[in-house]
Amino acid sequence: MPYLTRRRFVRVNALLAAGLLATLCGAALIGPVHVDLMRALQRTGGPSPDFVILFDTRLPRVLLGAVVGGALAVAGAALQGLLRNPLADPHILGISGGAALGGIVAIILAGQQPLAAFSAGPVGSFLGALGATFLIYRLALVHGRLQPYTLLLTGVVVNAFAGALIMFINSLADFYQAHGILFWLMGSLATQSYRLVGTITVYALAAAACLLWQARHMNVLSLGEEAALQLGVEVERTRRIIFFTSSLLVGAVVSVSGMIGFVGLIVPHVLRLTLGADHRLLLPASFLAGGMFLVWADTLARTLLGATEIPVGVVTALCGAPFFIYLLTRAAGKAFD
Amino acid sequence: MSLRCWLLFFGVIVAASHAPAMRVVSLAPSVTETLFALGAGDEVVGVSTYCDYPPEAAKITGVGSFLTPNIEQIITLKPDVIIGVPTPGNEEPVKTLQSLGFKIVIVPADTVEQTRTSIEMIAHALAREADGRRLIEQFDTRLAAVQQRLRGAPLRRVLMVVGQKPLVAVGSGTFQDELIRMAGGINVAGATRLAWPHLNLETVIAWAPQVIIDTSMGTEENTQVLEFWKQFPSLPAVREQHLYAYRTYELLRPGPRIPEALEMIARAVHPERYEELGH
Repeated sequence: MPYLTRRRFVRVNALLAAGLLATLCGAALIGPVHVDLMRALQRTGGPSPDFVILFDTRLPRVLLGAVVGGALAVAGAALQGLLRNPLADPHILGISGGAALGGIVAIILAGQQPLAAFSAGPVGSFLGALGATFLIYRLALVHGRLQPYTLLLTGVVVNAFAGALIMFINSLADFYQAHGILFWLMGSLATQSYRLVGTITVYALAAAACLLWQARHMNVLSLGEEAALQLGVEVERTRRIIFFTSSLLVGAVVSVSGMIGFVGLIVPHVLRLTLGADHRLLLPASFLAGGMFLVWADTLARTLLGATEIPVGVVTALCGAPFFIYLLTRAAGKAFD
Repeated sequence: MSLRCWLLFFGVIVAASHAPAMRVVSLAPSVTETLFALGAGDEVVGVSTYCDYPPEAAKITGVGSFLTPNIEQIITLKPDVIIGVPTPGNEEPVKTLQSLGFKIVIVPADTVEQTRTSIEMIAHALAREADGRRLIEQFDTRLAAVQQRLRGAPLRRVLMVVGQKPLVAVGSGTFQDELIRMAGGINVAGATRLAWPHLNLETVIAWAPQVIIDTSMGTEENTQVLEFWKQFPSLPAVREQHLYAYRTYELLRPGPRIPEALEMIARAVHPERYEELGH
């Protein structure tokens, strides 16, 4: 792969950004209900149903999909670098398990007071994510250092434990709560307010910028711990920053949209194959491409069956599993460098 | 014969004519409600953990959840008859109990008609046919009263929602769907032909329901849950303020309270029919 020049950086990202923009516009115009753009823009005597559908239900959803997809992809890329493991995706470290558990517990506890139940979900979820992050951090510290191997194993175990608790709660839940639990486990980009979408966008961009700041160090880290230390990289500090930033990012995203899998796994890998493993390019490209991927997946999810929707996590998994097999047969290690 | 003999004789006849006290285990809330409505509350020795109506039922020993009955608990209670409804989880336990020699009655529970049949079956299992007939008569009378009130009312497009996140509605093939139709409404989500469709919000907007009944919180009537719908003033239901949030366990149970559930829905779909008489 050629050395990364500024020109290449700008060209690739501009192309992806244009693609994302086109995706946003295109996806907003696609849906089970046929919407006429001209009719929507004519505001004679109040908003027409076309306007409401386009700007109040579809557009926030499409924007949310772009942000969530981007966030998951960039977190996935960063975690693959941190853990030096091609199988890492944002949900592997158990943060999303903790977030889902927090959200489920919150809606069950707040269940009888509707006022609380609406905000309880995302707040409880984020607290769950924070709890999981700190728990994993504490458990994975070995002699004050954060080894990728220990981190990965701790994360997998915490994830399994959270999953077991979720299944337990599910077995006790009544009819209404059971549907709510599905939201966390399968993910949903269903229409949220513009304010929420705006908040999560700002948050995700800030986290992505923070990860980009460490991109150069991530490159060196991939050479191995000793080599990185000899080259002057503060390995522990870098690891900590990447771990906390990605975890908080994933936690926030899961609180808003539930667990959507495979985006953080597929997108960085595809980009690594085409663009190379330089994190300075990989991270922003992952963000943009991740957004595109999830918006298209969500468009399929909400259009395929007409009036009803498939959970978006199902669509991403159906695309992800075949890709995963392809990855395995292609010797994952080679694709990783 | 002396007077004492006659009194003793009549006393025995009267005592024998009452149904002998039975030990009954109920595996579903709707069955428990029916048992209490038949006056057999004292004979119920075990209920599912979800049985909470009438309040006395909640104090009876629990024998496992609606979906998974606890076999050991049931055996300990030595029931004369076990009554349940078909659920995906209880087929195995039911077969086991049958093979152990227990009398099990499974009553159907998918439509209003089946609910009537189930009352009959439960009454028969308890040898309380007279009580059963009385209950069914009340059931039919109350249903007929509601339908009488609604005679000639225009059909309205109704959306009944059981969850907001994800948006899950009552679809076709459920008895809630049947109640909506009996209440003079068109269930817009029935077009999906699924029982509990996960709806796309834009399709809801395209369907433009005139009445929205939101049961997603499962608690006392409150307006907070309706804020979600007020974001879409283009919906006729929002514009004309036909939004209702209802406590719902009556709506979920195919039991003796169905006429009340029907009335709740009828009041939502055709409020003008209830206003005239000042109720």
